[in-house]
Amino acid sequence: MNKALRRLLILLVFICMTGFLLVACNNDSDEEGSENKETENTEDEKDDNEEEKEEVESGPQEGGTLTGAMYSAPAGMFNPIFYEEAYEANILSFTHDSLVSQNESLEFIPSLAKEWETNDDQTSLTLKLEEGVTWHDGEEFTAEDVVFTYKSMSDPDYVSAGGIRTAYVLPLLGYNAYSSGETDTFEGVVADDDYTVTFHFEEPNINPLYYASFPIIPEHIFKDIPVAEMPEAAESRDAGAVIGTGAFKFTNMIEREQYILERHGDYWQGTPYLESIVWKVVAQSVMTGLLESGEVDFIADPNGIPPADFETVQGFGNIEIIEQPDFGYQLLGFKHNHRTGEDVEAGALEPDNWVPNEKLADPKLRQAISYAVNREGLVDGLLYGRGQPINSPVATQFWAYDDAAATNYNFDPEKAGSMLDELGYVDDNGDGFRDDPDGNEWILNMDYPTGNELREKSAPLIEQQLEEVGINVNLRQPKEMTAYVEELTNDNTDWDLYLLGWSLGSADPDPSGLWATKAAYNFSRWNNPESEELMQKALKAPEAFEQDYRAEVYSEWQSIFSEDLPALLLYAQNSLWAYNKRLQGVDPLPYTMYQDAHLWWVNDAN
Amino acid sequence: MHKYIIRRILVFIPMLIMLSIIVFALATAAPGDPFTGKILDPTVDPEVFNEQREALGLNDPIPVQYLRWATAMAKGDFGESMYYKGRDVASLISERIVNTVYLGVFALVLTLIVAIPIGIYSAKNPYSPLDYGATTFGFFGLAVPNFFFGLIAIYVFAIKLGWFPAQGTISNIHVTGFAEFLDRIHHMVLPGITLGLAGTATYMRYMRSEVLDVLGSDYIRTAKAKGMSDRSVMYKHTLRNAMIPIITLMGFEFGALLSGAIITEQVFSYPGLGTLFINSITNRDYPVIMSITLLLGVAILIGNLLADIFYSIVDPRIRYD
Amino acid sequence: MLKPNITKNTEVSSNQKHNQSPFKLARKRFLRNKLAIAGIAVLILFILAALFAPLLTQHDPTKGDLMLIEKPPSSEHLLGTDSSGRDNFARLIYGARISLTVGFSAMLFTLLIGVITGALAGYYGGKVDNLIMRAADLMLALPFLVLALTIIAILEKVTVGIFVAVIAITSWPTLTRIVRGAFLSLREQEFILGARAIGATDIRIIFKHFIPNAIGPIIVNATLLMATMIIVESALSFIGMGIPQPTPTWGNMISEAQNIRILRDHPEAWVPPGLAILLTVLAINFIGDGLRDTFDPKSNRR
Repeated sequence: MNKALRRLLILLVFICMTGFLLVACNNDSDEEGSENKETENTEDEKDDNEEEKEEVESGPQEGGTLTGAMYSAPAGMFNPIFYEEAYEANILSFTHDSLVSQNESLEFIPSLAKEWETNDDQTSLTLKLEEGVTWHDGEEFTAEDVVFTYKSMSDPDYVSAGGIRTAYVLPLLGYNAYSSGETDTFEGVVADDDYTVTFHFEEPNINPLYYASFPIIPEHIFKDIPVAEMPEAAESRDAGAVIGTGAFKFTNMIEREQYILERHGDYWQGTPYLESIVWKVVAQSVMTGLLESGEVDFIADPNGIPPADFETVQGFGNIEIIEQPDFGYQLLGFKHNHRTGEDVEAGALEPDNWVPNEKLADPKLRQAISYAVNREGLVDGLLYGRGQPINSPVATQFWAYDDAAATNYNFDPEKAGSMLDELGYVDDNGDGFRDDPDGNEWILNMDYPTGNELREKSAPLIEQQLEEVGINVNLRQPKEMTAYVEELTNDNTDWDLYLLGWSLGSADPDPSGLWATKAAYNFSRWNNPESEELMQKALKAPEAFEQDYRAEVYSEWQSIFSEDLPALLLYAQNSLWAYNKRLQGVDPLPYTMYQDAHLWWVNDAN
Repeated sequence: MHKYIIRRILVFIPMLIMLSIIVFALATAAPGDPFTGKILDPTVDPEVFNEQREALGLNDPIPVQYLRWATAMAKGDFGESMYYKGRDVASLISERIVNTVYLGVFALVLTLIVAIPIGIYSAKNPYSPLDYGATTFGFFGLAVPNFFFGLIAIYVFAIKLGWFPAQGTISNIHVTGFAEFLDRIHHMVLPGITLGLAGTATYMRYMRSEVLDVLGSDYIRTAKAKGMSDRSVMYKHTLRNAMIPIITLMGFEFGALLSGAIITEQVFSYPGLGTLFINSITNRDYPVIMSITLLLGVAILIGNLLADIFYSIVDPRIRYD
Repeated sequence: MLKPNITKNTEVSSNQKHNQSPFKLARKRFLRNKLAIAGIAVLILFILAALFAPLLTQHDPTKGDLMLIEKPPSSEHLLGTDSSGRDNFARLIYGARISLTVGFSAMLFTLLIGVITGALAGYYGGKVDNLIMRAADLMLALPFLVLALTIIAILEKVTVGIFVAVIAITSWPTLTRIVRGAFLSLREQEFILGARAIGATDIRIIFKHFIPNAIGPIIVNATLLMATMIIVESALSFIGMGIPQPTPTWGNMISEAQNIRILRDHPEAWVPPGLAILLTVLAINFIGDGLRDTFDPKSNRR
């Protein structure tokens, strides 16, 4: 009996303990809150002091270290022509330069090339290079390096070695012959002298500077390494061996944890103020805490701070947040057509063979569905308002974006309902869901991938919204991205609705890579001759040399897109880049925060 | 004995081959491949990936791919990662395995230095307050999921008290020598305790019951009757005999430790083998998946074998031949 | 954790077969164990909560609300709402359904495989034994989680049933070994030899004589296995390789705490499911220990 009593006692202790834990946790959070305020205050004071000091000293200070953070470790490929991910780009943006870059209005501006001209039919582009630019190892940068970079990317072994940036070399003169190994002479990019280089294009090119915007790699480092072996070479992966012309050198790393950049004393635009930049790989879960404590100074691409943490971070007092719309977007795709099994097998994209998806055939139907989706709600709820619904697949920052052209599918369930009624989609069998005009059950399959937390959360919410207007949605289990993309690509399936997101570049608004009928990424298998014609028209020389002309064509295209709806565009998330106020001289561009890092400085360097 | 060991090792080989076939079949049966997850960049022509698939032989029939992998493996070539371009698997794994081994050893040492003395004490003083405390702890340690414990540890000790870092293996690159060692230990405290918790509970319970069993056995009573001191009875007979099952347990627990490490590393975003394995599965990085599973298989088999050998050394009644 | 929670004690108490009413005695012994009784009480509480979930809350655990994201506890939402605006309390009690179902059916399934394979191996011995034990060794040569993760990666969709099958398929060998051990020790005993001598069929001998005599360790281990299965489910769901959202499971709920904001500011979202797992597993382990004391009174393990 005594023994039993004691056992009971243990149990009691347990229950108390667990209960206590719960209480303790709640208390903790309260205390935590007040503590936060305290530290904030002291930090504010410190900030004030610093600002005073800054006023006394005024002007940039020399030295200091800046700590940046990213959520995932770079895969370890620090050669611009072979890297794939934004995490590596975080390092490469500091270590390598391109011939041209883009300014705030997304126009190309000089970088390693100080001026340029094109010939009349825009089949060639001649650039004058900056003189006296040195690589990190002291060698001089010349036109030969430019030639070498593009030649390597056109090499017959480039793709099989793992290169994917062929988009930059495809239109170059003689690319096919050189990359297939038919000839050894590379005509696409030619060095006229040490400081002049000419790009030759196969056809008149409407946006030649885009092709000159790729980071340059050093010929003297790589010349003896065959392209096939470049990815394994130490010069492509090891700190200290990676050489660029950028403001910072990549000097050291603890792989997967820390990456250290030190300033390039002979940087051609002037010695950087900062001594070094340290990149840390930090789990998203502890990021905000590290920002607050000052252990991390900035976090930007590719994820920034999560929208849900915006207010918390803003409340820190020591952190500045840059908020601007992202170039990419999330969408709810409508499968217009499916490919046949044979075509999938053969890897053929033959629109004539496509099988129309009867369940979503009528554009009016897709419009009705679009009215039923509460995009504002998704932005307010999931994104905490840090983004906006968009109506056209052209980023708002582009000259080509035309707000007036596209239909705005404002959340209007009643309109959606009445449109569906008109189309004959009413509940015939009394199961609470609409049936198709012939009285058959009308069930839309909806699929979505994992990977993007907000998108994952949006799927069940969209399902709910559609069911509210009586659409029977069969929301299927999320799939991992690898599996998901395979099914999207091999679309001989029963998919109707799908979620997907694109992150897009700032170079050119041309949408044909995603929405042209025969584009592999046209997962809706959208086949609209009018759209097709307009997209081609917008790229046709010589009219398309004029931006205004292109803008007009794109405006027309955007209106067709939003009427025919290959997809309902859901929202564009804002990028939220945060940095500690000790960092000065930040001049963000629409597509990056890492602009002119040699002008960055910290006000507590001394 | 030698014969036994050789025979055991010979049995490993067909087992490992079977294992590799099973895992290869499973891994390649998964939808998608290392390239399907990558395509979401509209500036990249998907044709490029087809070419790379071809170059890596991913378009070949699965048995052909397996044979290619197995032949290379037989020659000691782990192959190249398909996801981390240009990295060979051996370097990728050796970079991570160090962290996992550190973590595992740290957790195991922690487990043993806590569990064994307490287990012995509990057995010698049954129903004492400490014994009850240990029992309570034992129940608790086995019932709390380690990811939940890890989150609480982060919450209390990293966020709230700020005593230990919540992640990573080292503070910065400038720490060297003994300071580096201490820094690594400092980083390992939370994940190490999290990983070692369940083991500590298990070992403690076993130790207690084994020592109790031995203490109650005839030969101990005989030894005591012969007038041996408590101390020497304890060390000469009791511990020696009580350790046998503990060692067997260690052989078995090895796999559990590795499973636990996968979860623990995930909670603390600790750059070890577990996180690499999960990433490789999501990225369909076949060569890495294969190498890790095979490595773990070998490690567990060797662990079991060592336990058996040790067993026979400690307990002379057991003879293998 | 994540280690089959199985006792090494495989001896069958031989006094059972001589006792006229072993189960009556066992029941008496079990009921004397207060911790086990407390365990049963807690478990019953959870089962009742799971069964009557719709009566305990009007909220749908899978329906989110964009206006109610990460709200603190209120009288409407006892434990607040999660990052999709779903009611945490509803998810907690509906989560009990999934967690208990998974734990119980995975245990049952594993038990089925384990008992059949163990019985075959232990009863027939020889080639059958060899084949089964080699297969078991093969499974044991990999950490359970590695195998489970690899299998889950290839599945198109993971439902509760499929998930249960996966964990059962990857965790049977430990049980097989125990059942086999018990059978081996019974094989040469007189009453079995006697049954054979009078020409009883194999099936009859297995069911009439072996299973009843090996039932003790089987039940004890099955109980402990259920606790392990509940932890396994939550761990896999936690790392996103388990039962997918929006299905409420305790592991899914805790995985929200991978975000520091929720970890720090909303303990009401992740501590209760964690405690629920803890209490359930504790309760089951108490019951298991009680059962062990019952079936093997000589045992001094607590």
